[in-house]
Amino acid sequence: MLYPEIVVVGCGNPLFADDGFGPAVIEELSKRPLPENVKVVDAGLGGPHFVFTLLDPESTRKLVIIDIADFGADPGTLRVFRPEDLPAGSYRDAHSWDLSEPLERLKDSINITIVGCQPKRVTSPEMEIGLTDEVTNAIPRTVHLVLNLIGVEYGTAI
Amino acid sequence: MSKVVEISPTTRHEGHSKLVLKVDDAGIVERGDWLSITPVRGVEKLAIGKTMEQVPKIASRVCGICPIAHTLAGIEAMEASIKCWYPDDARRLRVILQCANRAHSIALHNILILPDFYIPGTDTKINPFTPQEPVRSVAKRIQRIREISQTIGQIAGGEAIHPSNPRVGGMYRNVSDHAKLKMYDLAKEGLTLAHEQMDFMIAVIRNMQKRDWTEVGGKQIPIPKTLGYHDQGYMATDPVYGTTSHSENPTWSYERFKETRPWDWYMGEAEVNLADPSYPIGGTSPVGTKVNPQMEACTGIPLYDGQPVEVGPRARLVTFKNFDEKGTFGQHIARQLEYTDSFYAMLSAIDDLNPHGKVLADHIPQGDGSMGWAANEAPRGTDVHLAKVKDGRVQWYSMLVPTTWNFATCSRALTGAPWQIAEMVVRAYDPCVSCATHMIVIDEEKRIVAQKLIQ
Repeated sequence: MLYPEIVVVGCGNPLFADDGFGPAVIEELSKRPLPENVKVVDAGLGGPHFVFTLLDPESTRKLVIIDIADFGADPGTLRVFRPEDLPAGSYRDAHSWDLSEPLERLKDSINITIVGCQPKRVTSPEMEIGLTDEVTNAIPRTVHLVLNLIGVEYGTAI
Repeated sequence: MSKVVEISPTTRHEGHSKLVLKVDDAGIVERGDWLSITPVRGVEKLAIGKTMEQVPKIASRVCGICPIAHTLAGIEAMEASIKCWYPDDARRLRVILQCANRAHSIALHNILILPDFYIPGTDTKINPFTPQEPVRSVAKRIQRIREISQTIGQIAGGEAIHPSNPRVGGMYRNVSDHAKLKMYDLAKEGLTLAHEQMDFMIAVIRNMQKRDWTEVGGKQIPIPKTLGYHDQGYMATDPVYGTTSHSENPTWSYERFKETRPWDWYMGEAEVNLADPSYPIGGTSPVGTKVNPQMEACTGIPLYDGQPVEVGPRARLVTFKNFDEKGTFGQHIARQLEYTDSFYAMLSAIDDLNPHGKVLADHIPQGDGSMGWAANEAPRGTDVHLAKVKDGRVQWYSMLVPTTWNFATCSRALTGAPWQIAEMVVRAYDPCVSCATHMIVIDEEKRIVAQKLIQ
């Protein structure tokens, strides 16, 4: 099965500075031993159509999405959201249409949590590689938070 | 007198683009411009000085739909520049990955175009998400094809979305005997489903071709028999995989390529004086909107033998399989024919794959700064990456992505179509426009980015 019980997805584009937060967290997470029922995915820009339309509600019961989110806080601040907290269209699919609310479709059968990090710098359309210090510093906290969310005992020594 | 209508943004395809159409009194397009409105800059600059391993990974991030094609084209451009041969079993793994990507992409495109089509024998358009039969089983089949393709891609490529296994000189690792068997079983299941899905899609497309009209925004719009015809020519380098400057017989030529600026191809400043609020998804742009495709277009216009060309499934079939159907419907049919081709080519590569064979070159040269290029036949057309590598570092890098070729060609193919179905012509190219940032905006009032653009 492509998608097991728990799926952790990092979304974003590392070519636009802090937008690479999601994939950077996935890179950290994949260095750690994780239970067999957990899969971590670097979805890049392809989240909605590669992941959300393929999750299998029969096998997947928890989805954690890691992304940058602009909620007006200090850069590097983390906040946990539920799908209903997001304004319509915020997880807009690449095709600007009905698939655009994949989370709404899934949330009744799958427990969905979104971990958002306030970015400092998103350089689109200019490309720039590398997270700002504030957002880099949020990575270990995010890893800890995600491990807690998926019930992995990780101690407090992070 | 000509009127100007603007459809912005166009929908149900990857990325953001728009249509500016000059139409006659009957609403028939006299001149159409289809252009990208998502600026993305800097990948070429970003690549300079990076290692030849890093650059294909960077290149794969410019797109949310085609990371596999960009990874393979990027790596092979490096290999062409440094003149590195890689082992046959690595090639087989790459072909498997390529075919998995293509099959999955066709399935995704099916979902995107089906709402333009009718259930044969009815005046009911297809909603791929309806729980009702027969559409429900079709949607399930599409999802299963995507799941099979992604799983095979994950096994051969290391990861399902951004493949981690391909590298300069071959692949990081071969697969196990067990994994080979699993890919084979999945591909056999996929082939059966691909046959069924191809038959279904062809029936639906042929049915549409026989219709006199289609409903758009509550009106019956005539469908011309020549919808999407153009005389721009085709470009394809291989029926399945691609070619490089280091191939024994390269099937693409850098010398035949030139690029011109958008202002040589698109129309200049104009004002919208025809609007239709009933056009799907919010209507067309209001009367009085200023448009200027020459200045707004975010891509150059690539020329091959002096003119823009069509790339993609029909170009491949015309070039390699004597396919002769033109226009929008010809493109749709050609794409469905590639469904089964993908699985046959995948099965053949899996069959030939020796899981105990070598997948990495013994010697990987570091490059002397020569220019090398690789053309990968991505699902939506020829994806060319060009590179100069010296001492393992990239000195120069450039990408010519498929839809950049198709923008200019499709613009000409719009002539003669009723403007209300211009988007049907665009969608037949399975456009992948460009990428942009990706960000959740919690409070749209206070914050910068208007919306999240994926891909």
